[in-house]
Amino acid sequence: MHPVHLLHPFVLCLFFATIIGLTMFSMHPVLLVLSLIGAICVNLTIDRSRFFQALKWFLPFCIIAALINPLITHDGEKVLLYVNYQPITVEAIAYGIAMSTLILAVMLWCMALNQLMTTDQFIYLFGALSPAVALLISVTMRLVPRFKYQLQLIMTAQKAIGRDPRAGSVWQRIKRAVQVISILITWALENAIESADSMKARGYGLSGRTTFSIFTFTKRDGWLLAVIVVLLSVQILGHWQQIATFDYYPTFQALPITLYTVMFYSSFFVLALLPTILYVQEGLKWRLLTSKISASVIHSATDKR
Amino acid sequence: MKRKWISFIILVVVIPLILIIGATLLEDRKYNLISLIVVALACVPFFMQFERRKPHAREIMVIAVMSAISIAGRVAFMWVPAFKPVTAITAITGFKMGPEAGFLTGAVSAVVSNMLFGQGPWTPFQMFTWGMIGYIAGWLGKTTWMETKIGLILYGIVAGILFSCVMDIWTVISYDGEFSWLRYLQAAGTALPFTITYAVSNVIFLLLLTKPIGEKLTRIQIKYGLIGNQKAY
Repeated sequence: MHPVHLLHPFVLCLFFATIIGLTMFSMHPVLLVLSLIGAICVNLTIDRSRFFQALKWFLPFCIIAALINPLITHDGEKVLLYVNYQPITVEAIAYGIAMSTLILAVMLWCMALNQLMTTDQFIYLFGALSPAVALLISVTMRLVPRFKYQLQLIMTAQKAIGRDPRAGSVWQRIKRAVQVISILITWALENAIESADSMKARGYGLSGRTTFSIFTFTKRDGWLLAVIVVLLSVQILGHWQQIATFDYYPTFQALPITLYTVMFYSSFFVLALLPTILYVQEGLKWRLLTSKISASVIHSATDKR
Repeated sequence: MKRKWISFIILVVVIPLILIIGATLLEDRKYNLISLIVVALACVPFFMQFERRKPHAREIMVIAVMSAISIAGRVAFMWVPAFKPVTAITAITGFKMGPEAGFLTGAVSAVVSNMLFGQGPWTPFQMFTWGMIGYIAGWLGKTTWMETKIGLILYGIVAGILFSCVMDIWTVISYDGEFSWLRYLQAAGTALPFTITYAVSNVIFLLLLTKPIGEKLTRIQIKYGLIGNQKAY
């Protein structure tokens, strides 16, 4: 179990909203690279093989995205060569690579979010906004597999009477599939009314009813929340002071290295590495504890002798 | 009452404020984040309205069934490539059960199908677009236009183009961080085969499904006295 998954859903969601928002917010090369490193690290801690498999899809897309920009944009001062009398500039290439990095980082963060945040956590958060819509979502979630199963039954029955929706011409298939959906809806709607009456009989909509949730806001969540808020404030301050803007056109802006900018970058890096830090911390703690246990076992074993 | 004020404040104060901040403070350059926040907030008043009304269990169940069928319908049509009944089923729910049910069916279909296929920054856009398709269908359902075949064909085409165009806007701003018509036309051009498939599949599904599903929804509304399209009574 990844330690980030065990956080309170609010903290979990705030972290991902912060990091994805900040990544999308800036085209600054240093911030983009740091965000990408953070995203790669967290994906490596979650599921390595899945990460490499996803890269097979993401990388070609990003390379194409990076190559398109210099072909479209001809701004910039450092001209590399001319294609059809149109200049290909270093600035446009760099901008294309930066855009690709941004997209790749956001996609990787979303991939991590999808694996770390489960449906019940999502519904819990939605319930804070609107309990009725959260109920709607969770009922729908449950109905989808049920309907898939029922669809199989209906299709098998249709096949048995010679109306297989998988056979015949395209038009026949569409018509038969529509027939299957129609049968499904008849069954589902009557069933739904029954479930609704059952819900009502069990007291849905009465006043004073609460919803169960398994999530508790622990001290650790409080600490992490504070850390995220502080780091986010530093970032907002930096954006306010225009440190995070970087101009690619007409030519590259200088990247000043001062104490202030280094602090700004490192605070962003800490934020991006936060889930990885939690993972490593958890791992170290586990090793420490197991080593203590084994040491005590050996100790007591020798005592007995 | 409190919730009514929240949706009012969001519509009249928060969204314009974010747009103004985006245009002045950020020099109109952070389209991606600003549009994401605005689209997500635009869905909130619809949810609030539903919440405030204290919906009956039967209404919740019927809307959940329609959303689940639009998602499961993708399974039924797996062997006909690029055909998705989501838009058509959302629109039919809108026709028969009114704008609110239409919006919720579309938005919930988007959220739940993204739970199965992966959430991302595109979720609010899909929620809002599908929701709006259902919402507009709900208002059109109050007229007699959607009882004609020409009306259904036109709505199917418009909904397909609308969905594709909004998602192209998202493609452009997520790629560039800002909006340019040149990029937009390029994206829309590349997506043209998809736009055509969306429109054609919408038309086919609307023509084939509106009558059977519509009859069933009307029947269930009369039988169990659900609040919806008053024409049913």
